[in-house]
Amino acid sequence: MSKFKFPSSTRVFSRRRFLRGAGVTLALPLLECMSQKSNAGTTGASPQRMLIISNNLGVLPKLFFPKTSGADYQLSPYLLKLREFANKMTVFSGLSHPACEGGHSTENCFLTGAKHPTSSGFRNTISLDQYAADHLGRQTRFGTLNLGVNIDKANRSLSWTRDGILLPAEDSPADIFKKMFLQESDPQIKQRLEQLKRRGSILDAVLDSSKQLRHDLGRNDKTRLDQYFSSIRDLEKRLVTAGEWEQSPKPKTEMELPNDILDRTLLFEKFEQMLTMATLALQSDSTRIITLMVDAFATPVFLLKDNEKSTTGYHSLSHHGMRADHLSQLEKADRRQMELLGQTLQALASAKGEQGQLLDSTMVLYGSNLGDANTHDNSNLPILLAGGGFQHGQHITFNHENNKPLCNLYVNMLQKLGVDTDHFGSSSGTLTEFKSR
Amino acid sequence: MFMQNTISFFVISVSVLFCQPLCAAESVVKGAEKQVRELIQQTCVDCHNQDTSEGGLNITAIDWNLKDAFSRQHWVQIHDRIQAGEMPPDAKELPAQERIKILNVLSDSIYNADLKDVLSEGRGPMRRLTRLEYENNLRDILSLPDLDISDMLPEDREKFHCNKVAEILDVSRIQMDAYLNAADAALRQAIAAGVKPRKSNSRRFPATSMFESVDTYGGREAMFYAKDSKIVPLTRSDLMKIRKKNQHDPEMEMALFRSPSWPYYGYPEAFRAVEPGEYRVRFSARAVRQVGDFGLREAWSSVPMNFRARKRSGPDVSGDVRVTGDTFDIQPTKSIFETTVRLKKDETIEYCLLGLPVPRPINPPNAPLYYDFPPMPKGGHPGVAFQWLEIIGPLDSVEWPPVSHQRLFGSLPIKASERGELAIALVSDQPQQDAVRLLRRFIHSAQRKPATENELRIYERLVLEEIERGAPLAEALITGYTAFLCSSQFIYLTEPQADSKNRHYEIAARLSHFLCNSRPDPVLISFAEKEQLLGASILQKQTNRLIESKSFNSFVSDFTDYWLSLKDIRRDEPDARLYPEYRFDDYLINSMEAETRAFFACLFHDNLPVTTIIDANFAFVNDRLAQHYDLPPVNGSKLQRTLLPPTSPYGGLLTQAAIMKITANGSTTSPVLRGSWITDRILGAAPPPPPPAIPAIEPDVRGATTIREQLAQHTKDPVCAACHARFDPVGFALENYDIMGAWRDRYRSLGKGEKVTGFDRAGHTYAYFVAGTIDASGRLLDGSEFEDIKHLKQILASDPRILARNLLQQLTIYATGTPVRFSDRPVIESILDQCQPQAYRIRDLLHGLIQSKIFLGSSSKL
Repeated sequence: MSKFKFPSSTRVFSRRRFLRGAGVTLALPLLECMSQKSNAGTTGASPQRMLIISNNLGVLPKLFFPKTSGADYQLSPYLLKLREFANKMTVFSGLSHPACEGGHSTENCFLTGAKHPTSSGFRNTISLDQYAADHLGRQTRFGTLNLGVNIDKANRSLSWTRDGILLPAEDSPADIFKKMFLQESDPQIKQRLEQLKRRGSILDAVLDSSKQLRHDLGRNDKTRLDQYFSSIRDLEKRLVTAGEWEQSPKPKTEMELPNDILDRTLLFEKFEQMLTMATLALQSDSTRIITLMVDAFATPVFLLKDNEKSTTGYHSLSHHGMRADHLSQLEKADRRQMELLGQTLQALASAKGEQGQLLDSTMVLYGSNLGDANTHDNSNLPILLAGGGFQHGQHITFNHENNKPLCNLYVNMLQKLGVDTDHFGSSSGTLTEFKSR
Repeated sequence: MFMQNTISFFVISVSVLFCQPLCAAESVVKGAEKQVRELIQQTCVDCHNQDTSEGGLNITAIDWNLKDAFSRQHWVQIHDRIQAGEMPPDAKELPAQERIKILNVLSDSIYNADLKDVLSEGRGPMRRLTRLEYENNLRDILSLPDLDISDMLPEDREKFHCNKVAEILDVSRIQMDAYLNAADAALRQAIAAGVKPRKSNSRRFPATSMFESVDTYGGREAMFYAKDSKIVPLTRSDLMKIRKKNQHDPEMEMALFRSPSWPYYGYPEAFRAVEPGEYRVRFSARAVRQVGDFGLREAWSSVPMNFRARKRSGPDVSGDVRVTGDTFDIQPTKSIFETTVRLKKDETIEYCLLGLPVPRPINPPNAPLYYDFPPMPKGGHPGVAFQWLEIIGPLDSVEWPPVSHQRLFGSLPIKASERGELAIALVSDQPQQDAVRLLRRFIHSAQRKPATENELRIYERLVLEEIERGAPLAEALITGYTAFLCSSQFIYLTEPQADSKNRHYEIAARLSHFLCNSRPDPVLISFAEKEQLLGASILQKQTNRLIESKSFNSFVSDFTDYWLSLKDIRRDEPDARLYPEYRFDDYLINSMEAETRAFFACLFHDNLPVTTIIDANFAFVNDRLAQHYDLPPVNGSKLQRTLLPPTSPYGGLLTQAAIMKITANGSTTSPVLRGSWITDRILGAAPPPPPPAIPAIEPDVRGATTIREQLAQHTKDPVCAACHARFDPVGFALENYDIMGAWRDRYRSLGKGEKVTGFDRAGHTYAYFVAGTIDASGRLLDGSEFEDIKHLKQILASDPRILARNLLQQLTIYATGTPVRFSDRPVIESILDQCQPQAYRIRDLLHGLIQSKIFLGSSSKL
């Protein structure tokens, strides 16, 4: 069993223990292990990060959503678990993806907002993390990390390319650890450098041959062609940065290589281990964009707490039909997740960022594609955003019948990350109610 | 007619232009600014000055610098407002003679300045290919007709209801990166996947292997196994036993009665494409009716179906879902069907019966969720009974290496590769010479105009350096080819210009991208080589040839996607509370979309008068649409050109279901939105944007007030009324068409009126109310009144020149990437003059545009 597994004696929220796990990593000279290159692309402003977590069966809405709204809202039973961070987080209700229906099939659209995922001719669209990475370029060793817990890797992912291709999640903490901290062999690096070099040569040739054309052109055409030239130069700069990343040594950590937990019943232990990897990745500035899908749907009978197993798989449990025994198990599962989320926020708050806490430059989004798994309802999604330097401490509510596009919040997040856009997916604008600090 | 005054003014200014030789016009222009400023001082400055800049216009601040495109555009707007009679608001303030005078001076000055700019700088900038064009170019060059890379490129922006506007088709770092990836991916797909074609497997599925399970969501009614037309109630373990022991009964049938929609997984047991590619699918089936106690009877009519490619991901769909292969009409008598499907790795095929019920989930309290199937209609549930299915594949080209590979590497021998990503390596004794030869050959096949020797050298150097660095020959060539496919020569289309040595090539490329969304084919290229494309009869023959070609479909779908926003037809889901009959009716929506495209294509193929857009005595319908339009029954899923009874309110683009759906929002219709949409897209008079801070009028779904009453309230303010009078009336006439274009006499509501109840296609009870009667009458801006849509159609069709001008303008943007410029206007009018005697036939308009200097480039220097 992994060293990350909780001693089975205690199940209460133990921040100390979590910190002990993460504490090893905290011994790192925080963010100092970051390569200098990481700031090369930014313009002085402190870099922003995001960690997006989705559980594809959601939570019990009644216990999640606060009953009152505004700045002095009353924390809901679940949010009480995050009480310490009440001023560092915002809860949203009345958000969903318009025309993104089809029960569980929407899980792949949580970060894309693509419409009608089950109809003929459907193809997914680019996900928030990939869109951000495309626009921000290679500021860190990894553009993004896409993680999964108990995930059906072939069919589910939060992360999708522009042409709707699934980017498989990584579900081995050990592999992620190696990727971040273990030096690779020279041939692998050499091969990737070769690829980059080849790209560079292509761009050189293309630039040369287009220059031949320029002097024959009229004013209008020259303007167009200059745009083309600058896009090439822009891309060349990115290639150089990517090459430098390949050659720069990886950060070091005192933490030992984790052992992967393979037992799918240990859902929360696996989730915790993955959250530790995410925290570590942000701390070492290995990446600034992380997605993490908890594939509850693919989770069989699982351990709710010591010696208590769920009576059925997570999915059947979610169709509770108001049966009391199902509801109480779901509540336990939801509360465990809230605790783990609290631990993660704590770890990010304890870590030092460029300015103040790492949490202040990290948006942590927790949510789901299902508003109510019992009825396969894809509206009124549970959405919580902590950290990242927003004016927090609110419950922002939108119309229950006529939801606001969740992508509007994604635009806020993209802008925070420094992506110059006013549109993403099915957005109709931004959430103006949600302001930067 | 409400736009008549526009026309008469237009004709005046145009004829003035034509009468004056250019040099004379120039002398008139000398004192132009003074004349214009004087007239404006009298008439306009009172409202449009520094202090009271009505409508945001301070006319005194506008520079008379017509060389500058921006200030020229301002004067064009002023000219157009005065010409349309919109300004000054009180026509008396500008007497007719003065009006003509100011218009003449303005139009002469603007015309000359604009023309000068066109002649020195070109009519518009060069245009980047759209992603669809990029994909099609690669498909043609590589001979890969099913290449699928367009989604690797960022979506193109849209302006003027068009996706080909040069000034907004930008190139960014992301675009450039995407070109590199897309070109590389396409080239690798073209290369032989092995030294020999892949081995093709054949699998036969008896009925009891054709479905994963013993029933599907919706219970037994939705799917069961049968023998001798009676159910065989197999359990899961029965089925497992049959499969394990291979004791399939050839007399068994798999009977299916539902359409696909989540959750559903209607695919055969244990089949998935281990290799991506084409697969041959054969199956035997008959159309049936399910009667009481799960019996089967011969169907009364055919049942349409096709296959969807998808992953074997169970009820949840992951990634792509798409129709592949043909659509069949399964007949009541048993027959064998055959088609070829394209599958990606790990995909399977799903049975997709069209237009049948989709069970809906029921969530009873304290009990598990289940899916309900509708109660049996009279005569039984329509469905299909399958006897067996066969899948053979992957089907590789018989010719090996395949043609696409030969496009890249000619006939160089291949062997298994020992390194790198490719499965094969090229065998060559003289790699450098072969590289240079193949590179030149490839560029020759991919270029749209001759590359210069200097350019060729640059790519040669790139490839040779790669070889020197130790890259395998095939990889080195891919590097060179990728570079060419990302070069500015390749991704931009340039404007034909009279003095350009490549003018004929540019015309060929413009023509093929216009009508086929792809590169010129060898025939066009050879005419360009011989410099024969400017010959009117050759150009006309070539245009006709492209219109008749299969690639013309690409023009039809791309143009209608934007001009009519057909790409948005699935934007709003029909509201199941108000319109239960449309719930999950994908078949209807697909048929609607196909109808409008077929109709649009027919306008060009049959060279129909432009008024056909407004009204026609025929329609393209299939079984579902005939029902939707309340026409006599039609058999089968294929669209058939059908004569409409004289009483039918359909006919013409204007009232097609697709247009009615796009202009509604899924729940309600609004005369404002429909009216302004038609006025903009069909009549070419885009209404000004609504003033800020005025809330939109939302139809009342409770049924308390009709939209007409609400609008009457809204337009009490004369400022509102003036604008609404331009487009609301057209919308009123369309109120008889519901959110999907079906005829209605009364509104539906959720609150008031007579209650209507029943069962929807999934067996759920519904209740809505039938409320107020529809009044479709109206009065146009020019005073002409109409009773209903038939009457309005007559009025709209009485001025075909407006329709023709609008279509011509839209075609101009699409064909050239630049909207009609001021100096193009006389050309447009002269094309209209030519087409007028034949009632503005649509293909004639197209020919007129292609033969004009707008399309071919100016032929004289100033």
